[in-house]
Amino acid sequence: MSNITLIPAGFTLVKFDADQVRELIGQTMAEVGFPADVAVTIEVDEVLPHPLTASLVDIVDGEAKLWFTGGCFESPKRQTGLSVDHTRVELGSAFLRAKDRLSEGFVNAPRDEELDDRQRTIWDAYAEGRLVALGYPVRVQRRRYTFRLYGGFNDVADAAFARLWSGDALSWNDLSAMADELVAADTRPPRKKSLRKETLRSAPAA
Amino acid sequence: MSDPFKPRAAFAPWDRRELPGLFTVEESARRVGNYKWLEMRLFESLGGWVATVPELDVKLVLGRHCYHHAWHAELMDKRLPELREMNTDRLCEPANPEMAAFVEALREPEAPEHTIEKLVGIFRVLLPRKIAAYTYHMNATSRITDSPTQRSLGFMLQDEFEDWREGEMLLQSLIETPDDVERAARRQSELEQLILAAGGIAGPGTLGSETVTEGASV
Amino acid sequence: MRKQLPPEMLARDSRFVRTSIMDQVMDPRNAKMGERDLGSARLQPERPAAADRARNLMHGIFTGEIQALEGAGRTTFDFDDEQAPFALKLDMARQCWDESRHVEISVKLGDWMGTEIGEYSEATFLYEAACAPDPILRLCGVNRALEGLAIDVFNTMKEFGDLSGDPVLEFCEDWMLADEVTHVKMGSDWLRRLTADDPERRERALDFQRTVDKLFSLGGFRGESEDNPIQLARAFRSMAGFSTDEIDELAEIAAQAQLDAQAMVAGSS
Ligand SMILES: [Fe+2]
Ligand SMILES: [Fe+2]
Repeated sequence: MSNITLIPAGFTLVKFDADQVRELIGQTMAEVGFPADVAVTIEVDEVLPHPLTASLVDIVDGEAKLWFTGGCFESPKRQTGLSVDHTRVELGSAFLRAKDRLSEGFVNAPRDEELDDRQRTIWDAYAEGRLVALGYPVRVQRRRYTFRLYGGFNDVADAAFARLWSGDALSWNDLSAMADELVAADTRPPRKKSLRKETLRSAPAA
Repeated sequence: MSDPFKPRAAFAPWDRRELPGLFTVEESARRVGNYKWLEMRLFESLGGWVATVPELDVKLVLGRHCYHHAWHAELMDKRLPELREMNTDRLCEPANPEMAAFVEALREPEAPEHTIEKLVGIFRVLLPRKIAAYTYHMNATSRITDSPTQRSLGFMLQDEFEDWREGEMLLQSLIETPDDVERAARRQSELEQLILAAGGIAGPGTLGSETVTEGASV
Repeated sequence: MRKQLPPEMLARDSRFVRTSIMDQVMDPRNAKMGERDLGSARLQPERPAAADRARNLMHGIFTGEIQALEGAGRTTFDFDDEQAPFALKLDMARQCWDESRHVEISVKLGDWMGTEIGEYSEATFLYEAACAPDPILRLCGVNRALEGLAIDVFNTMKEFGDLSGDPVLEFCEDWMLADEVTHVKMGSDWLRRLTADDPERRERALDFQRTVDKLFSLGGFRGESEDNPIQLARAFRSMAGFSTDEIDELAEIAAQAQLDAQAMVAGSS
């Protein structure tokens, strides 16, 4: 655990137990097979509540940098409380994507903030599909709805989702090609095809 | 080409309706007033219970059935002036104090643990009684003179049958243990005693026997 | 069964958890959130976290529908024939059936959007407004104020469904919207009928409605600017019996609530 940094070290705005979060981080890393020798920084913006869910995963100078809104880990049933299930799935998905980024097939993947919503939703579905195989409490229909929202409410998008859900050893080129396929099949007006990128992280303090 | 001016009988050969009926205008109105009162108390009870049952499917069914019985009350309310009862509130009353006591007992359960008791009262005691009484009314009254009442009762019976089936199925799915069977049977027995004392939803003679109006058959 | 069932007695199965008002009010993130510039709060597909925000809102609508069903049901039961006329009770029974269908629609929509029953905590504000001791206050607080809000919410969600190309969401919202317009109209009609000779009672009822409207415009939740997550649906409101003056007044209440919220944040930082 020595090369893992949790920011903040202790939570003051939410009732998350930082030790429990650290334990879940260690457990998830082991379960998804994230290399133990890679330094990891996990930043949680505890100001942003559920349902403001967002996360970013990048590898910078060989180190994994993960950022989450507090809402990702928060229980929708108990305000400011931690949901172990949600935390495990969010961490699991993020560590799988970080692991992807460390691999040969993803060296050409853009940084998370540069991904458009369609590319991001494709990658998320690929990650969560693999979490199902590991026995994580993933909610397939939730992911499918998000996928349709950004990928399109059509048969091509549904077929793509099914491929991702059982996908293995895909590369960034595979995911990127799929994004192009979804764009071509999307009959929504162009404004919705090129969804404007706006992140919660870039929100500056007033 | 057939002759459109050839005289024909007013009743087609297959129309076997006859004039005589067992009810006078007053008797039909009295019963319709009892039905309206009962349908009102029933839809209010179902409406009140919606908030007290934790089972989501039961909650939604009660909400739906609440309207069915309100519509029945409305049909009966509209029929009363047509039966010379211009003050539609006057006959809107329980058949007798025993019937009022039955309804009081029927709507008494409140606790969220008492869904079986609530449903038994409606679906194993009251609805079968209503089906019987409405069927009797339909069969006993003149199919010609009182056919507006009959037509409404026909619609109402259709609801009653379907609602009874739905409620009975809910009950069968809620009764899971021998203890539950006992509870349901006990509740049914308590309420049956009360409605027996009332003589049925329209009082003694609900299903005939005592209220046949002599000379009403023409 | 008693008359007047308090909100804490609403029966729910084990999946449901009640929102803790204390947790909500005491949440230290509230002030910090106000300091952030998170962009427009309007619910649109291109906004961050749109999927989870839409799911959260839909679950709120789902529990609101349950309470609307319960509230209408209680209004058929809580009053005797003098306090609530027969025809009013018939309308409330009809509303029971409609709200029952809305719950069914919301459950199916939840399945579609991947939301579980009870996934989010439930606030009981709608039912609380349905506990007023005068039926006409209930019709103003629930039918006119809160179901008026439902018109705004459904219209916003319908637009969200349209923009995102979601055929199911748009279909469901459009049907529910039709029913809600009817319910708001019921409130408007009964207000006029029952208070025709009692201006004082009418004023009390409208006051209650204003209070509820103000409460739910709180912090700029509903309004007519880009900053409001829920947009005021003028056309549907006028269909439901709101006069232009009344809609203007509501817009003013909403705008004022937003200014109050901004002033509060400025004062706390
Ligand atoms: Fe509704
Ligand atoms: Fe409604």
